[in-house]
Amino acid sequence: MSLLQHLKNSVRSRSIHVAYVNVGSCNGCDIEILACLSPRYDIEQYGIYVHNNPREADVLLITGAFSPQWEDKLKPLWDKIPHPKVAVAIGNCPISGCVFNRPETLVDPPVSKHIPIAAEIPGCPPRPTEIISTILSLAPLIFKDYEETIR
Amino acid sequence: MKKTVDISLPVGPMHPCFKEPCRIKCETRGEYVLAAEVELGYVKKGIERIMRGRPWQEVMFLAERVCGICSVIHNFVFIESVEHISGIVPTERAAYLRVIVNELDRMQSHLLANYSYCYTIEHETLAMYLLNLRETVMDQLELITGARVTCAFIVPGGVRCDISSDIADELRSALDHIDAELTRFIRIFETGPLIGLRSKGIGILTKDAAIESHAVGPTARASGIDNDQRSTHPTYTALGFSPVIRQEGDNFARIMVRFEEVFQSIRLIRSALEAMREGPIRGGGTIKAGSIRYRGEAPRGELLYELTTDDYGRILEIAIQTPSIPNIQVCAHAMLIDAQSAADITSIFISSDPCIACTER
Amino acid sequence: MLSIINYIREFLRPHWITTFFTAKTAPLVTPPHFRDFPELTDKECTHCLACMMICPAPEAITVVKREEIWRPEITKGHCIRCGLCIEACPEDVLTSGRILAYKKEEELTLQGTFHIEIDQSKCMGCGNCTVACPVNREIDPALRSSGTSTSDEVIMRVDTGQNKVLHEEKCTGCKTCEESCSNGAIRVARIVEALQGGEK
Repeated sequence: MSLLQHLKNSVRSRSIHVAYVNVGSCNGCDIEILACLSPRYDIEQYGIYVHNNPREADVLLITGAFSPQWEDKLKPLWDKIPHPKVAVAIGNCPISGCVFNRPETLVDPPVSKHIPIAAEIPGCPPRPTEIISTILSLAPLIFKDYEETIR
Repeated sequence: MKKTVDISLPVGPMHPCFKEPCRIKCETRGEYVLAAEVELGYVKKGIERIMRGRPWQEVMFLAERVCGICSVIHNFVFIESVEHISGIVPTERAAYLRVIVNELDRMQSHLLANYSYCYTIEHETLAMYLLNLRETVMDQLELITGARVTCAFIVPGGVRCDISSDIADELRSALDHIDAELTRFIRIFETGPLIGLRSKGIGILTKDAAIESHAVGPTARASGIDNDQRSTHPTYTALGFSPVIRQEGDNFARIMVRFEEVFQSIRLIRSALEAMREGPIRGGGTIKAGSIRYRGEAPRGELLYELTTDDYGRILEIAIQTPSIPNIQVCAHAMLIDAQSAADITSIFISSDPCIACTER
Repeated sequence: MLSIINYIREFLRPHWITTFFTAKTAPLVTPPHFRDFPELTDKECTHCLACMMICPAPEAITVVKREEIWRPEITKGHCIRCGLCIEACPEDVLTSGRILAYKKEEELTLQGTFHIEIDQSKCMGCGNCTVACPVNREIDPALRSSGTSTSDEVIMRVDTGQNKVLHEEKCTGCKTCEESCSNGAIRVARIVEALQGGEK
């Protein structure tokens, strides 16, 4: 890896853009992500910016237990995110379906069937502290070995 | 042929202003909105189908997860409806504790709704202030129940845990703090000329249109309709409850109704803490067979549970009507029409406090 | 004009100025009263399965025997941190937040009675539920894989191609049979009562 690449990676790992997508959650996890923005937790001081635009995101936060409407929408959305990228499953729903994973349900968990998931945060819903510490521990790993390929 | 529609403007399903996926399709001429339609179905999970044939201790958690923002009221209404079927009466202390937790939940929901509105009209300072104030409320919820969002606090015949005098004191001081802070924030909101430009006279819902389309909750109360299910609830009437009503029917009135309801919740919690006496918090009792229609007042409006139980404590049939269903419809068909600018579409939509997870379940 | 005065008043408050110039990040801590994933205390589990009976989430808690000791195991990603298992446990094996403290202080219990219902039109008599049932296994270790048993003491057994319930009162409501049934034919109704102040 060239020196320039090292420099790029280290700069990038200090400025992470986050998009979140709700694929059928109960809102609980979404408002806990929202609480991360509040001055109490203040996610922006760590260089993490919640943007909600997949085209400029590095980290995709997924909440919810994959409802049928997202069958043909989540994969294109994932493809739109430029490399390097990771997806983080927030809450029980994308991991196991939580209490919705019962007979006669409409949801189709886990989300890892559809897109690759790098990290999982269990809890229903997880605390904002747990969400922030997971993203922070993941941040240096996304860009560590990334090497740009010339297309 | 004369061209009447310039562009069909889609907003969503992923939009920075929305917390949840939904799509508003607007027919516009220039920036003027001619017609609007809300497209839903992105978070349908089929909760009512999962609930069928399950005992109360599982349905209670599923009911909480109908909506993560106003989870306590779903728990509250579901448990009260099975209590009415089986003739269980909660103990007096438990009834007051229920009101305290429910009002705390309403406060955080209203603060979150007003945060989203301020964020949508790009007044980020006030938005962040409100979000920070909400954390204080969440701390109190966590202190009392042990969880921030899905508390699972209410069980048939009582509540999960009691509050000690230390917790009550901390709750009182937190309420004083919220009261003082919110008074300042409302002063900023009421007198802000830019906020007034984006809010006053925008998204008007007349009283007739509100009655016609069965608007509920703060959306209806901002248009002068006296519709609050809390005024028929025995514990609330004992605490001296009277609904907050405003007449204007625009965005500003809807936000102000929510602000005033936060003050009202503070008053209710204070009087509940005063009225509370020592006593048991759980009365026991098992669920009997029967069926009922039961209403309660969620932060967004009237919430209806219609359910049938059997003798083994299971829920056989259940139907839930959440307040966001009429509110989203009235928003699309009455409030969004004649909006003068495309920038107002999101702010009008957010001012009715839509909750997509509630609507689709 | 009033608005500008309001903003000036807002930013001239001593509290605002001190927090603006001495901004500090709150540490990422979890308060002790937070209801986290249940943890084991040093008490001994008696394999009564009350925690599995009350658990509202599928596959969240299982009681397993490791190194000759029964102990409950929580599956993260399934557990919703409701804390009902802590309240239901009669031996105080699990703890989380302040649930165990107030449960002892106020003598709170959750008690369950059970009713097993088998839809005979759906039951194939495969015996999965009979073999999976942990209570059945303890009563009759010689239980065959087809679900037939010579013992009359088991909760249920397969008899002439159909599953029959013999001793409903022995059921602990652990839901293992429901999860092992491929047809959804067996349902355990768990009639739970939330009580305070000892036995009623």
